[in-house]
Amino acid sequence: MLPFFQWCDGLAMSQAYRDSTYLFPLTQALHILAVTVFVGAVVIGDMWMLGWGPVGQSRTSIARSAQRVLLWAGLAVLVTGIPQFTTNALTYQRSWLFVLKMYLLAVTLVFTATVRWRVSIAEEGRLPSWVTRAVGAVSLSLWMAVTISGRLITYYG
Amino acid sequence: MPSIVRTFAWLEGLGWTTALRESPYGYPLIETSHVACIVVFAGLVIMMDLRLVGLAFTNAPLAQIQRRLFPWQMATFVPSTATGILLFCVDPLRYYRNVFFLAKLVLLVLAGLNALAFHLKTYRRADRWDEDSQVTALARFAGAASLLLWSATIISSRLIPNNWFK
Amino acid sequence: MKTKLFLLLLAVGAFCAVQPAQAHHAFAAEYDPMKPVTLNGIVTRMEWANPHGWIFMDTKESDGKVKHWTIETAAPSQLSRHGLKKADFTDGMTAVVKGYQGKNDPGLANGRTLVLKDGRSFYIGSVGGPNDGAEPQ
Repeated sequence: MLPFFQWCDGLAMSQAYRDSTYLFPLTQALHILAVTVFVGAVVIGDMWMLGWGPVGQSRTSIARSAQRVLLWAGLAVLVTGIPQFTTNALTYQRSWLFVLKMYLLAVTLVFTATVRWRVSIAEEGRLPSWVTRAVGAVSLSLWMAVTISGRLITYYG
Repeated sequence: MPSIVRTFAWLEGLGWTTALRESPYGYPLIETSHVACIVVFAGLVIMMDLRLVGLAFTNAPLAQIQRRLFPWQMATFVPSTATGILLFCVDPLRYYRNVFFLAKLVLLVLAGLNALAFHLKTYRRADRWDEDSQVTALARFAGAASLLLWSATIISSRLIPNNWFK
Repeated sequence: MKTKLFLLLLAVGAFCAVQPAQAHHAFAAEYDPMKPVTLNGIVTRMEWANPHGWIFMDTKESDGKVKHWTIETAAPSQLSRHGLKKADFTDGMTAVVKGYQGKNDPGLANGRTLVLKDGRSFYIGSVGGPNDGAEPQ
């Protein structure tokens, strides 16, 4: 991975972000906003799966709508995330919590894109309710773990 | 306003605020909780706003979404605010002079007033939210205002640690 | 379509996974990695605080004038991890701090190592600092 981080570090974009006083904080602020929308869409879907929302037809349509929001917010997260990543990867990869968050997020994304994707829009009654609840609970836990592990880097990383 | 400075200095010097400021576990816990609660709270508010402006969840009745989301919004708003107050008490002299922190407070109040105004105007007609065109117009405005205000609040919060203005 | 979604989400994950989730200033936006400083002076005050500690130090310039420095350190949990204690600081003590000067504020610095009068050396750098070898492995 190190050569990849070094390559990222050397990009003109990375240098631009290092040189500028405003670019990084503003991009990061927009990134946090995009993450908030993303998490909102995840949580609303997870709540519905856990049975804390309306049931029946509207659950599926809400889940589908949430997925659209997820994709758009995800795109915004990506776009605002890339420059932050390239500018800092070489320095942050020394932190164990940072590396942990990386793996945690990869796992969470795979889970979200596969199992959760299908289960959240499944028709009412197609799956046993324990499956839906379990997926909702796992999703909520994983995303919270990602958020928390990231925040703890300053203190224990 | 010298008395405010004295009050904040006194607050900063208290045993419990000092302990929190210096703690290896307490402060990280409070700060992490603050961010986690806010992200969930604001995320749910934004979902509601997207419905209000008609950008998402349009197949679900407005009143139904609101009824389901509201308790969770309140449940996450309370710890968000409580942890926020604690964080402020840890370093009041620094925060009250920070333009981004002050902007955040103003925006928070405005967002709250916007939400309150919408509820007061439309609560009695909750059953007919989706058929009442006046409510729909109000909803769109309130939703858009809310989206703007909460986005600005989040952005302002993120800029607090920057020392752009001395 | 599904594969594209899947790959997109994976990419999002990979990229935001490596965010300095210390949603805080990036080192290079505030401090200049090209301006290392070695400060030999008197510690007037030390704030042992979250999310960052602060060392206030007075150094003597070559023209005899006193310069006031504000040095940012890591959080208490990190300082303790590297062996430093709040009791190691007394107002008025001498110390040597190595770090990097602020970009917009020449009196500001990001501290990397601290050497006390008794010779003990400590890593005081925050996560996300430059790969200068100051951090013990």
